[in-house]
Amino acid sequence: MKALRIVTDFLRGIGEATFFLLAIVAALPAALLRPRLVVQQLYMIGVLSLIIIVISGSFIGMVLALQGYRTLADFGAVSSLGVVVAFGVVRELGPVVTALLFAGRAGSALAAEIGLMKATDQLSGMEMMAVDPIQRVVAPRFLAGFIAMPLLASIFSLMAIGVAGGHLIGVSLLGVDEGAYWSQIHEKLHPHDIVESLIKSLVFGAAVNWIALYQGYHAAPTSEGVSRATTSTVVVSSLVVLALDFVLTSFMFR
Amino acid sequence: MTSTGQDVLVRVRDLRFAFGPRAIFDGIDIDIPRGKVTAIMGPSGTGKTTLLRLIGGQWRPQAGSIEFDGVDVHRQPRRKLFELRKRMGMLFQNGALLTDLSVFENVAFPLREHSGLPESMIRDVVLMKLEAVGLRGAAALYPEQISGGMARRVALARAIALEPAMVMYDEPFTGQDPISMGVLMRLIRTLNEALGLTSVIVSHDVEEVLSISDYAYVVSGGKVLDHGTPQAIRSSASEFVQQFLLGKPDGPVRFQYKAERSYAADLLDGAAA
Ligand SMILES: Nc1ncnc2c1ncn2[C@@H]1O[C@H](COP(=O)(O)OP(=O)(O)OP(=O)(O)O)[C@@H](O)[C@H]1O
Ligand SMILES: [Mg+2]
Repeated sequence: MKALRIVTDFLRGIGEATFFLLAIVAALPAALLRPRLVVQQLYMIGVLSLIIIVISGSFIGMVLALQGYRTLADFGAVSSLGVVVAFGVVRELGPVVTALLFAGRAGSALAAEIGLMKATDQLSGMEMMAVDPIQRVVAPRFLAGFIAMPLLASIFSLMAIGVAGGHLIGVSLLGVDEGAYWSQIHEKLHPHDIVESLIKSLVFGAAVNWIALYQGYHAAPTSEGVSRATTSTVVVSSLVVLALDFVLTSFMFR
Repeated sequence: MTSTGQDVLVRVRDLRFAFGPRAIFDGIDIDIPRGKVTAIMGPSGTGKTTLLRLIGGQWRPQAGSIEFDGVDVHRQPRRKLFELRKRMGMLFQNGALLTDLSVFENVAFPLREHSGLPESMIRDVVLMKLEAVGLRGAAALYPEQISGGMARRVALARAIALEPAMVMYDEPFTGQDPISMGVLMRLIRTLNEALGLTSVIVSHDVEEVLSISDYAYVVSGGKVLDHGTPQAIRSSASEFVQQFLLGKPDGPVRFQYKAERSYAADLLDGAAA
């Protein structure tokens, strides 16, 4: 009996979330007509996430370079260090780690903001002013997150490969030939790797935004409800990102 | 009720509404006369706020109908409903100001969304409305920098920004000092005459509300207990209405929210455990 309840609740949640997504998508054209709202959110969601992305990207790049160097040294192939870092970061860690950080930094903030707006009657106030909150509040945030994620993931990857990340450790510290570092990346990293990376981050970005906005919009209008929405946003979107990564990778794996 | 057709702006008929198992309205009829100030009074928790949300079409009744200017609010597609709402201003009990916008921008919000006026006109309208509620000087402040009573006055300025046909005030007097209370009462009355508004005031500040309204309803326990002019209400034969007006703790209304078990039984339970 109780198991049945859990299953029906789960299915109802999925149904609700799907309708919510459809409503957002239907409101997107209107949101595009008001770019100022989107730009404002791009700042809140994207620009304010930059620092954490830049720092994490650098550290991940450094770690990858250290680890890769030891393995490559055994085969006398340290000149391929750049490719090892670039592959790891572009294909996998860039989109995934960025999405996880994005869920923690921007997703939780979105859920809390929308949840609080609901709890303080701001959303129903808007409705009574004949303004659709999905169109005015939710859609611009969704769009901004969708645009911000691939940009953030690209910045993450560049930082990891570049002079503050893998390059710093590999070339400046361990003495890998600079020309080899770059030319190998140039030679081995194909455009389709980059396209696949962008697809991943677009999908992750949409998923994290969807989850965060849904959690906020459907939060119970209390302080506990808002805190629960924030927590579930981070937990659910992290799991969803990892699961989606597996699915996407297995499709792209050749 | 003799009022018919054109005289009535909002017509509520046999309205039934429940939150889950808890019935809030059990078949009520209310007529809001056009161009008048109508008070809806009742104890806390009877569903006064709920009634306003039903009129605004935010919630759907289980049965019965609400007509605004001859149009059934709950039988409209979303777009038509939004058109109706532009003609209703609502002052929320807690103000419901947008916390990321300044006082000025809050009042400008409905104008920017709907009016298509140029910036200079929006500025003039907003300053006029803020002046009317005595808060022009607070235009640059943010909602967290003003008091609850001030927030409610800003919300009033916002509710009348689009010059609606009707304004619904949810507890406008709570948290106002005597001076702003007096100003607000006069303001509601003046706005009603000057803009040709229809006003609905929901409140339990009986004296204040009766002194500025043309007609009043007393609602409790899901029913309309009495309605009439303020004088008629004051001399109501209903025991309940008298208790409510005079604020006596004893009478047909119970101060306590309905409990399943007796007080003694509840306490004894605790002692036994
Ligand atoms: N979202 C909701 N879900 C369930 N019950 C609710 C909800 N909102 C209100 N209620 C219940 O409905 C009843 C009426 O609420 P409402 O807010 O309309 O009362 P009110 O007459 O405005 O009271 P007050 O004068 O204190 O503002 C309350 O008893 C409350 O418990
Ligand atoms: Mg109320």
